[in-house]
Order: sequence, then structure tokens, then C-alpha cells
Amino acid sequence: MDAIQTLDLTKYYRSGAFKRNNIPALEKVSLSVEEGEIFGLLGPNGAGKTTFVKLILSIVHPTSGTATILGYPLGQRALKEHCGYLPENHRYPGFLNAVDTLIFFGRLNGLQESILRDKAYSLLEIVGLKDWAKVKIKKFSKGMLQRLGLAQALINDPKLLFLDEPTDGVDPIGRKEIRDLLLNLKAQGTTIFLNSHLLSEVEMICDRVAILNKGKVVRIGTIAELTTQKLSYIIQLSSPITKDIQERLQQTILPIEYKDSSLIVTLHDKTELNAIIDILRAGTIGIEGMTQQKTSLEDYFIQIMKGENNL
Amino acid sequence: MRFWGMFRFTVEEALRRGTLIFYFIIASIVLLLLTLGISHPANDPDMVTIFGNPLARLSQQGLNVVEFLLIQLHSISIFWIILLGMFGVAGMIPSILEKGMIDLFLSKPLTRAELLMARALGAVTGIALNLIYFFLGVWLIFGLKAGVWHWAFLSSVLYVVYAFICFFSVVTIVGLITRSAGFSIMLAFVFSVISWGLEVRVNGLYKLWDNVVYHRILDALYYLTPQLNGMLDNSTRVIGKPPFIPNPPDFTFMPFLYSFFSTCLLYSLSIWYFSRQDF
Repeated sequence: MDAIQTLDLTKYYRSGAFKRNNIPALEKVSLSVEEGEIFGLLGPNGAGKTTFVKLILSIVHPTSGTATILGYPLGQRALKEHCGYLPENHRYPGFLNAVDTLIFFGRLNGLQESILRDKAYSLLEIVGLKDWAKVKIKKFSKGMLQRLGLAQALINDPKLLFLDEPTDGVDPIGRKEIRDLLLNLKAQGTTIFLNSHLLSEVEMICDRVAILNKGKVVRIGTIAELTTQKLSYIIQLSSPITKDIQERLQQTILPIEYKDSSLIVTLHDKTELNAIIDILRAGTIGIEGMTQQKTSLEDYFIQIMKGENNL
Repeated sequence: MRFWGMFRFTVEEALRRGTLIFYFIIASIVLLLLTLGISHPANDPDMVTIFGNPLARLSQQGLNVVEFLLIQLHSISIFWIILLGMFGVAGMIPSILEKGMIDLFLSKPLTRAELLMARALGAVTGIALNLIYFFLGVWLIFGLKAGVWHWAFLSSVLYVVYAFICFFSVVTIVGLITRSAGFSIMLAFVFSVISWGLEVRVNGLYKLWDNVVYHRILDALYYLTPQLNGMLDNSTRVIGKPPFIPNPPDFTFMPFLYSFFSTCLLYSLSIWYFSRQDF
């Protein structure tokens, strides 16, 4: 079953005198997120990532389109009972301490008073704030607030967790701890929807990602699908290639790159691979291995944004 | 549970506000002074003294003098409550609309109507607790130390709280539309002035322009907005007739009744507006 399924979800913000100008934030976004997966939503600033999450949680109202979340249509109270949300730049009432903040948000989730305190302490321990439980949160650093925000999002044991830049302001060790926590939650069956600019982190933990640009989904797939360059191969050779073979290869296929006993080739179609192998074998060059070349998610993302990716 | 969670949080926040703490301290000082000052000489049970000086002889219309004192305390409280309403809690509606805060609240399984009403009720309760503290204190002091158990004075707090609930409906809708604590405070002040102007419109604002349409607009405004001034005046009349004003008007429920409808309208409009907003 899909945890999130949207169909042509569209949002236009109105601005200007008499709100006559329509500014597109999301245009006909259709995507699905499977239960139990970590799904990443990527995109430059203003792409519509936060608007998408806000639409799902009814913080903003859709202009058109529909969505089903955990089997509920948009706007249902029951939907929110199963969701946790860590917004970007979240703010908490400064007069509360960490444990009271969690108890307060637990109450808003309708949790029983009797279990709230124990649950709050247990979550503070998980996010590494146990020693800060009784400290007023106005004294917290950005990273600590982020950890508290994560605990707040988990107070109701959500089936679906929305995280908007969860590691923003968190130190590298804290980021690793948060990644481990998210993987642990995934192992327990929680679906995680992640908005992040930190593409290396997304690459490390997300099962699938979608790339948004100007309110439209431009790519969607698993990390492997997006980062594997389907027609680019690295061929590891047993011996160096001669100039003669190199010239013959370049007559067959361009471009070609040779370094560290490896040949990097980018093909127009897969049949060209056989031709390359034939040339190498004819020159008695042994082939030790062959792998498809991969790019980093960051490079892929930048290529997409520049409109230069032709994969 | 969710509604009361938000309500409880708002009351706690209201009571921690500097303005309300300041009011609480001032009220406590006044109560302490009254406790020390008011007494009932053991050898003359008919006499009420203040700091050793005779205040009133109850059997000889002295109750009017005590009532006069209670009316003065009541009037000071009303003045304070308007200040508190403006500077203490007028910013409490815009404060939940701040970016980063509203996202958290709206992501919880709480309807927007519940969120708004819990917030408004919490803010009003914060003020009401302060008022009740002062009124109950004054009532107990006069009862225990002077033997004057003035129930009308005690009941007048209900009218003041009711007036504040109505006043806060204006603060709520202004806070939602402007999303600014500063504007809310300013417009709450403007409203309290306008409310007074509308109350005395026949002898005041009417005379600015002798035009029927203009007069009807003023009348419409008078009936469509909570009659703050009328309610507070009448809450004072509950206590008794002030001794130094010739032919004071009698207590009337009408401002409370009219304000009930306008308050319901304003809170309904606030919920409708809040439910349609994107954050």
C-alpha cells in the first residue's frame, strides 16, 4: 500500500493587489511513496518542496488535485494522528523546558497524560538531550532545537514522518546519529519523507527520490536509477593498451578516456560495447572487469538543474 | 484532550507574561494595603475604619460609602484590564501564527477552530484569573475585616470577564488579519476608544455631520461591535449607585445581550477566516 499518493496536486499562491496574481508553487504533482520507505524530495530553493509537505498536512490548501495519505483523503484529522512533522525553521515557546515541550505536543496529539512524561524522557534520551530535559529551550542551540524537533515529531509514534531539513545546524556526529535513528525507524516500518538540501545525506539513506524544479517533478526513481549512467562503462584491463588500439577505439566510439589501466567509454547504444570488446580482444588485451559508471547524486542533481542531463 | 492541551498551554503562557505578572504584583500590594488598612473596631462593630480613621458607620447610610470605595476599586480594575488586554494578551493570537510555530500546530490533529478557540479562551482565562484573584481578595477583606459581604461586588467580576471575552473577539480577528502583535495592540486600543465614541455617539459623533446615512452607519457599528464601554459601565452599576452622581442610570442587560451576538459573529468570522488561510 502507498503511504502517500498524490494526483495532479497543484498549488498557486495568490499575491498582489486584490490577490489577482497567481504564483505557481506546485503544478500537477503526481507521485507515490510506498509504506516503509525513506523518500527524499530534492529541489532548489523555491522548488515547492515545503509546499508539498504543507499540502499533505493541510497547512496550505490545494488549488486542485487530490491526495491519499495512509488511506485518508487530505484534511482528515485521523490522518494527522499518524503523522509526525519537523518543519524547517521551527519555533517553540521559549518559556517551556524540553520535557514540557514534548508533553505539550503529546497533548496536542491526544496522547494519554499518564504515558506522556515517560515517553518524553525516553525520546529525549534517543535524541541525546536527556541531560537538558529541564532546561528552558530558549537556551538551546540550533542543533539542540533540531534534535528536540525530531523528538517532537516522534512523540505520537508516527507511521509517516515528514522531515524538512532535519540535520540543519547539526554537527557531523549529530547528523550521523540522526541518520542512524531514521534507518532504525525505517526498520520498524515507519515511512519517512525527507526534504533536504544535503544531497550526500539523502544519497546515504533514501530509497527513492524525486527532484522538483519550479513546482514540477522532473525526475523520480531509486538512487541507483538516478545515479547510474546507463551507457557509460568502466572497463578494467589486464594490460596497458597500445596507441594503435587506442586509435582504433577512438575511430569506433567517442568519447573515450584511458587512465589507471581502465577504459571509460560512453556509448550511443549498447551494441557499441561489443565492438569495443572485439577490438580489445583482437589486440590481446585482457578484460578484468566491467562496471557501469556512477555519478554522485549531487552531480546528477546539478546536471538536472542545469538542464544538461540527457540520460 | 487536544483542545484542553492548547488551552492549558495558553493560560500558562498568559500567566507568565510580564504585564500580567506586574498586574498580579500591583493587585497583591493593593490587597495587602486593604488587609492592613480595613478594620472593624472591637468596641464599635458598626464602624468601619481605614488605617485607624473612620470610613463609614454602616447603620447610617455608611454602606454607600463602602460601595463607593468598591466602585472605585472596580473602576481601577476595569482600566487595568483594558491595558492588560492590550499589552498582555493582544499579541497572543498573532504569536501562534508566526512562521515555524503555526506549522507545528496545524500539523497536529486539532481543527483550526479548536486551535483558535483554545487560544482565545486561554488568553481570556489568563486575564480572568487575575481579575478573580483581585475581586475575590477585595470581597474577602471587606467581608472578614469590615463585616460587609458585598455579593454584588463579587458578581460584578463575571460581567467584567464577559466584557473581556467580547473585547477579545475584536482582538482575535484583528490579530488573524494583521498577523502582527503590534497592530493588534494598536487596534485594540483604537477599538476601545471607538467603543466609547459609539456609546456616546448621539451627543458626540452625530454632531460631527448631520447626515442620516452617517448616523445609521454609526448605529450599525454600535450594534455590530461588542459594546465594551456599555458593558463595563453596567458592570459597575451592579455594585450600587454611586453616591455623588445625580440620577445615575440603572443597570441594563442590553449591552451584554447585543454584545453576545456581535461577539458570536466576530468569533465565527475569525474561525472562517483562519480556516481559509494558507501558512
